Amino acid sequence: MTTNLIDIQNSDVIMATSNMAENHPVGFQWVMKAKERGAKLIHVDPRFTRTSAAADMHVPLRSGTNIVFFGGMIKYAIDHNLHFKDYVVHYTNASFLIDPEFKTATDGGGLFAGYDAAKRAYDQKSWKYQLDAEGNPKRDLTLRDPNSVFQLMRRHYSRYTVEMVERVCGIPKEKFVAAAKLFCEASGPEKTGSITYALNLTQHTNGVENIRALCMLQLLLGNVGRPGGGVVALRGHANVQGATDLAVLYQDLPGYHPMPLRDAHPDLKTYLEKTTPKSGFVVNRPKWVVSMLKAWYGDRATKENDYGFDWIAKRASADAYSHQHIFVDMYNGKLKGFFAIGQNPAVGGPNAKLARAALEKLDWLVVQDIFLTETAEFWKAPASPPHREAAGTKNIKTEVFFLPAAPAAEKDGTLTNTMRLIQWHEKAVDPPGDVRSDAEHIYQLGKRLRTLYAGSKAKRDQGILALTWDYGDKHPDMLKVLVEMNGVAIEELRDKDGKVLYRKGEPLKTFADLRDDGTTTSGIWIYTGATVWDAEGKVVNRTASHKKGDEKDYLAHGWGWSWPANRRILYNRASANPAGKPWSEKKKFLWWDPEAPSNVPDKKGRWVGLDVPDFNAFLAPDAKGGDNPYIMRADGKGAFFGPLLDGPFPEHYEPVESPVKNLLSRQQMNPTAKIWKVGDKRNELAGVGSAEYPYVITTYRLTEHHLSGVMSRYLPMLAELFESHFAEISHELAKELGIANGDTITVMSPRGKIHAKAMVTNRFKPFTIDGKKIHQIGVPWHWGYNGVPGLPGSKGDITNDLSATVGDSNVFIQETKAFCCNVKKGVV
Amino acid sequence: MLKIPDWEMTIVWYFFLGGIAGGAYFTAAIADNFGSARDRAVSKVGYLLSLPLTLACGILLIADLGTPLRFLNMLGAFKFWNPMSIGAWGLGVFGLFSLLSSVLSFSTSQQMVGLRRKLSLVGSIFGFFLAAYTGVLLSATTLPFWGDSRLMGALFLASGASTGMAAISLIMFLGGTAAGEGWGKVKKADRYSMIIELVLLAVFLGLLGSAARPLTSGQFAPLFWGGLVGVGLVIPLVLEFVGQRVKAVAALGAVLVLVGGFVLRYVVLMSVQA
Amino acid sequence: MARTLAMFTDTSLCIGCRACQVACKQWNELGMEVPEWTGTYQNHTHFTDQTFRLVRFIEEPKPTGELAWLLMSDVCKHCAQAGCLEACPTGAIYRTQYGTVDINQDTCNGCRYCVSSCPFGVVAFNASSGTAKKCTFCNDRIHNGLGPACAKACPTESIQFGFRDELVARAQKRVETLKGMGFKEAQLYGADSNGFLGGLNAFFLLLARPGTYNLPDSPKLPQRNVVVDSLLSIGSAVLVGLGALLAFRERGQGGGDA
Ligand SMILES: Nc1nc2c(c(=O)[nH]1)N[C@H]1C(S)=C(S)[C@@H](COP(=O)(O)OP(=O)(O)OC[C@H]3O[C@@H](n4cnc5c(=O)[nH]c(N)nc54)[C@H](O)[C@@H]3O)O[C@H]1N2
Ligand SMILES: Nc1nc2c(c(=O)[nH]1)N[C@H]1C(S)=C(S)[C@@H](COP(=O)(O)OP(=O)(O)OC[C@H]3O[C@@H](n4cnc5c(=O)[nH]c(N)nc54)[C@H](O)[C@@H]3O)O[C@H]1N2
Ligand code: SF4
Ligand code: SF4
Ligand code: SF4
Ligand code: SF4
Ligand code: SF4
Ligand SMILES: [Mo]
Repeated sequence: MTTNLIDIQNSDVIMATSNMAENHPVGFQWVMKAKERGAKLIHVDPRFTRTSAAADMHVPLRSGTNIVFFGGMIKYAIDHNLHFKDYVVHYTNASFLIDPEFKTATDGGGLFAGYDAAKRAYDQKSWKYQLDAEGNPKRDLTLRDPNSVFQLMRRHYSRYTVEMVERVCGIPKEKFVAAAKLFCEASGPEKTGSITYALNLTQHTNGVENIRALCMLQLLLGNVGRPGGGVVALRGHANVQGATDLAVLYQDLPGYHPMPLRDAHPDLKTYLEKTTPKSGFVVNRPKWVVSMLKAWYGDRATKENDYGFDWIAKRASADAYSHQHIFVDMYNGKLKGFFAIGQNPAVGGPNAKLARAALEKLDWLVVQDIFLTETAEFWKAPASPPHREAAGTKNIKTEVFFLPAAPAAEKDGTLTNTMRLIQWHEKAVDPPGDVRSDAEHIYQLGKRLRTLYAGSKAKRDQGILALTWDYGDKHPDMLKVLVEMNGVAIEELRDKDGKVLYRKGEPLKTFADLRDDGTTTSGIWIYTGATVWDAEGKVVNRTASHKKGDEKDYLAHGWGWSWPANRRILYNRASANPAGKPWSEKKKFLWWDPEAPSNVPDKKGRWVGLDVPDFNAFLAPDAKGGDNPYIMRADGKGAFFGPLLDGPFPEHYEPVESPVKNLLSRQQMNPTAKIWKVGDKRNELAGVGSAEYPYVITTYRLTEHHLSGVMSRYLPMLAELFESHFAEISHELAKELGIANGDTITVMSPRGKIHAKAMVTNRFKPFTIDGKKIHQIGVPWHWGYNGVPGLPGSKGDITNDLSATVGDSNVFIQETKAFCCNVKKGVV
Repeated sequence: MLKIPDWEMTIVWYFFLGGIAGGAYFTAAIADNFGSARDRAVSKVGYLLSLPLTLACGILLIADLGTPLRFLNMLGAFKFWNPMSIGAWGLGVFGLFSLLSSVLSFSTSQQMVGLRRKLSLVGSIFGFFLAAYTGVLLSATTLPFWGDSRLMGALFLASGASTGMAAISLIMFLGGTAAGEGWGKVKKADRYSMIIELVLLAVFLGLLGSAARPLTSGQFAPLFWGGLVGVGLVIPLVLEFVGQRVKAVAALGAVLVLVGGFVLRYVVLMSVQA
Repeated sequence: MARTLAMFTDTSLCIGCRACQVACKQWNELGMEVPEWTGTYQNHTHFTDQTFRLVRFIEEPKPTGELAWLLMSDVCKHCAQAGCLEACPTGAIYRTQYGTVDINQDTCNGCRYCVSSCPFGVVAFNASSGTAKKCTFCNDRIHNGLGPACAKACPTESIQFGFRDELVARAQKRVETLKGMGFKEAQLYGADSNGFLGGLNAFFLLLARPGTYNLPDSPKLPQRNVVVDSLLSIGSAVLVGLGALLAFRERGQGGGDA
């Protein structure tokens, strides 16, 4: 997220596109605060939820049509001259000129220039800036050049008319115009609006483009980097941000360095050369990567051995290892063993029947969890024809190990939340019995592996043997781990003038001090500054600090510690105009104070304000690059034109399963979407407009339950809040099918079927899509076959038995927000 | 969105028997004080009937408590405006009178008879109380029609008197003492009570209007109209006038009155809690 | 008596998350209940002996035809004139020094009179303890300087806890603000200590008429009937007594006409 939840209170309009009140209720308090101050809340969601209940306007749209919605808004803003022109001209790449060879999807029948149908991929050679003699992008600050990003964007979205929005999304014209007006008018120097999103945008085969569309709207309205503006990514699990920071994703190293590729990156030099841009802040990558390797391998990492770069397991160039890849490979017998640490794919994974069938093919499975999950007991799954005759262990050879893990309250450590805020928590009670923290399990596993490999000469074992793996005797000292992530000075460090910057062993205060000569360590550069030394050389854990916000510091910089560098709003340079002055008194946040002392003696001027500048604090607005707020980008500008694998501008395609034809182009679905072919009819898909599966289905969460349900269904107090698994359907559909509220119904897709109770409600309404009535239903996915004894409703069918193994082309996220189903009354 | 107290058959019986006990006692007291010597049988039956019934009432009341052992807690507080509180006290005090009067009813000593008569005048106040307070108790709730009526106590009192008298006359019939003039007086008194009850019931329904719907329509209506109004009031009254010379018919009338009294408590308690 | 404490539940801020409902269960160690199908997200239909806070979900079309989902976290009102307290024959229900209404579980004998005497149907009987149960206003917490568990858990400050007079002032301002924002029916329920039941120490801000939330427009103290009903009973006693007197006197004196 570019901003901080606390700052939402400064928004003039908030457009919630996810179900924030239900899934991020604590963060939602700031939306309510904004509302108390008179802000308006728009909720965009196919169904009326508890967020809609709090909203001034609920805009229902058919699942999977988000780009039409945002594209329509972009067009509306441009057509009505509501975009924030100064912001767009100076802080974005709108003025940059693109290669004349490039064609938008408007001119390519739904495809951009360079599509290769055989490869189902784009050749992106024309997707680039025109460069001048010095190699800098050419610009037209009037934004009139037909090859300017602005004009191309305008051309691209020329099809996204209000009428088109009505026909594709099913939003009545008047309603859409009212929403567009309300949101787009909160733009300019005096106003800001924020947009929240979560899975409503991500879980689609064009998930990343959905988010880009949202970002483009925010750039257009000048809503990024400014108070009350922002792209509010509402993340999932309590520490999912920390998990991605620390590289649980296959494509990253800690701190978002690309995972090295086996063939393309034979050595550190090549890796750094290929992945380090020529300009922008990321030019510092070598310092970060070398410091990371020093943190991992300590003294064994030397300049001569590439700091141990060779020891990192590399990714085979063309392969991806997303959740879905792993389970398809597992089903195909390519995986022998699997570690499920705090994950319940037997319920939570898309196409869960496939996931459970895949688990049967393993030799061994380790489940490390705080509860006996359905995954840990996957053989207990009831039969779900036609794929398995009867449940049982008879024919399953998988050996299952269960490692009981301690939950958060039983261990020290940090959680990094959705606003990049790292918060330390102390152990409240010891775990019972032989239960251990995840850190201890993993630490001990590492120790045993090192004993096992001791003396091995095999190349593949050297990485494990070379690790610094010394955090205490039994349980790792988590503060030690945090300090290692933060990084320290390996030896005394001095500046150019010989002044001592750091004592030997001292934690580094900022990543600006990281070096690529092997004198500093840092497990993850963005966390540098989280721990420091006090005067006596004792570690001060800034993530454990508990100073509440007040009038002087409403963003509460003393509460926990937020990466990077404890700044709370990213790109905050954009909160001032190009000359460094606040855009307006009302939206004053960070500004250039020409009188403030600089870091160089005798010089003056620095950025000051309500936050840590996300910018070189001493770079004057009129200096070179002084108006480039987007420091993580090579050109320093927010990107309207931003190449992804499926295009530089988001273009609408229908979900892989859809009841209707794409009205915007002949391209029915994302031409680069990943669709897995799995044997044994394990991943059948419904055709476009299938009569057998005529309804749109979306799957989602409830406040009362948590994800695969293990952490809520097993607790009577929470489990009793819903009587049973249910599906929400409109009165109109219920009438057509003769279903009454509370009737048991069967929901089926080409992958499987489930039984649930029908909750007939006004909160779902049929959509009119291109003049035709299209029904959508909604099914929460928290239930599974385990639960509380004596509470029948704590168990239920697995909604993910319905969903498919298909993915977005960039990150392979599943499409569980929009697919097709049928509904029948009774148990069919 | 109100809640019902789940007062079930124990309480129906309690209300019913309490009414009889109170009614019988005061009938006995009146016969004792104002009747002739030949009415002695009436007062003796009345006193002696009230004693076991009161005892039964106490047991029923305690049995119905969620925590019966804490019955005495009721006596730990005295709230004069609270029917339940003074009800518990009243039941106890009445029991005492009933006991004394019963014991004294065996005495022929002039002194003791005098004492008994005086005592019973005070005791019958508590008898009236026992018959009526249960109705007041119901009207001091928030439930529909219980809380809407202010004649519940009056109605219960009239019904209690009538059932008390019917019980006495029935016992006399069964005990073979139905020959004397006393029997006829009880039945006559009962006739007045029934008329008063019928009138009160009409006013009660009239005042309640649609609030009386739980009684007058729906599941409990047949029992109310047939069991209470028909079997419990109109038929016995008709029998009184038509068949008053045939003892068996009169006895049957008394049985019907008792049935009616039970039905009244039953429909009033259950219709609201259904 | 100490200054009166109160809870102010502002339904305009409620997001129906039910954290209050669960926090109450957890703090008060209330047991598991098998829920019933209510057709909506709400469970249970009403307060029970194990559910002292209950979030209500009311689907109501607005006059404009748009849908409204009114969310309201309901609770014992801690009435200044409390039917339950007046009804309790054992004195188990008492008023604390802070003006809240609590049930002493060691004194209650389970007569259930309070159950039928609460104008809001709050008190419920617990069969296993044999006593009546309801919101305690977290008596154990407020006497130790902590706010109620439900208020503590509420993420949006929909449940506010504090001194009654201060909360009422804040609530009145809030109603004005909401009216200014177009919520025409925004109103306080039970804030007025001259109003029904002498005011509620757990009062509410509603966005629609009380009836929409299944709340009585003007709840009455059930004990109001006692005097009239008693007098009428006495009248009835006099009538019946006269009848009996007549029956016994006339014959006794005349020597019998049988
Ligand atoms: N109480 C609770 N909180 C949670 C979780 C939980 O399980 N329980 N899970 C956590 C996790 S891991 C995550 S990732 C987040 C997820 O947070 P959210 O993304 O808010 O979660 P969902 O409920 O899955 O989906 C949100 C909404 O998307 C709507 N929707 C479906 N299709 C579309 C569409 O095409 N466009 C739009 N605009 N809306 C659409 C659905 O109707 C649904 O209401 O929540 C986190 N918070
Ligand atoms: N149809 C459909 N499917 C979905 C989604 C959807 O919206 N629709 N959403 C997707 C999303 S966003 C997500 S995040 C996934 C979630 O899917 P999963 O991550 O598989 O589901 P969880 O229930 O969160 O599993 C977390 C497990 O961690 C355990 N746990 C909790 N704390 C600890 C701990 O400290 N240590 C250990 N070792 N274990 C712990 C819990 O007991 C639980 O079993 O589901 C995805 N699946
Ligand atoms: S469950 Fe935890 S992380 Fe989620 S909203 Fe509640 S407090 Fe925040
Ligand atoms: S709401 Fe009911 S239970 Fe609560 S104090 Fe008032 S009368 Fe008593
Ligand atoms: S049930 Fe308990 S609390 Fe309620 S009135 Fe009876 S004694 Fe009082
Ligand atoms: S005040 Fe305490 S007892 Fe009452 S509802 Fe809130 S948490 Fe429950
Ligand atoms: S915790 Fe607060 S917001 Fe949530 S349901 Fe209760 S009152 Fe409403
Ligand atoms: Mo998630």
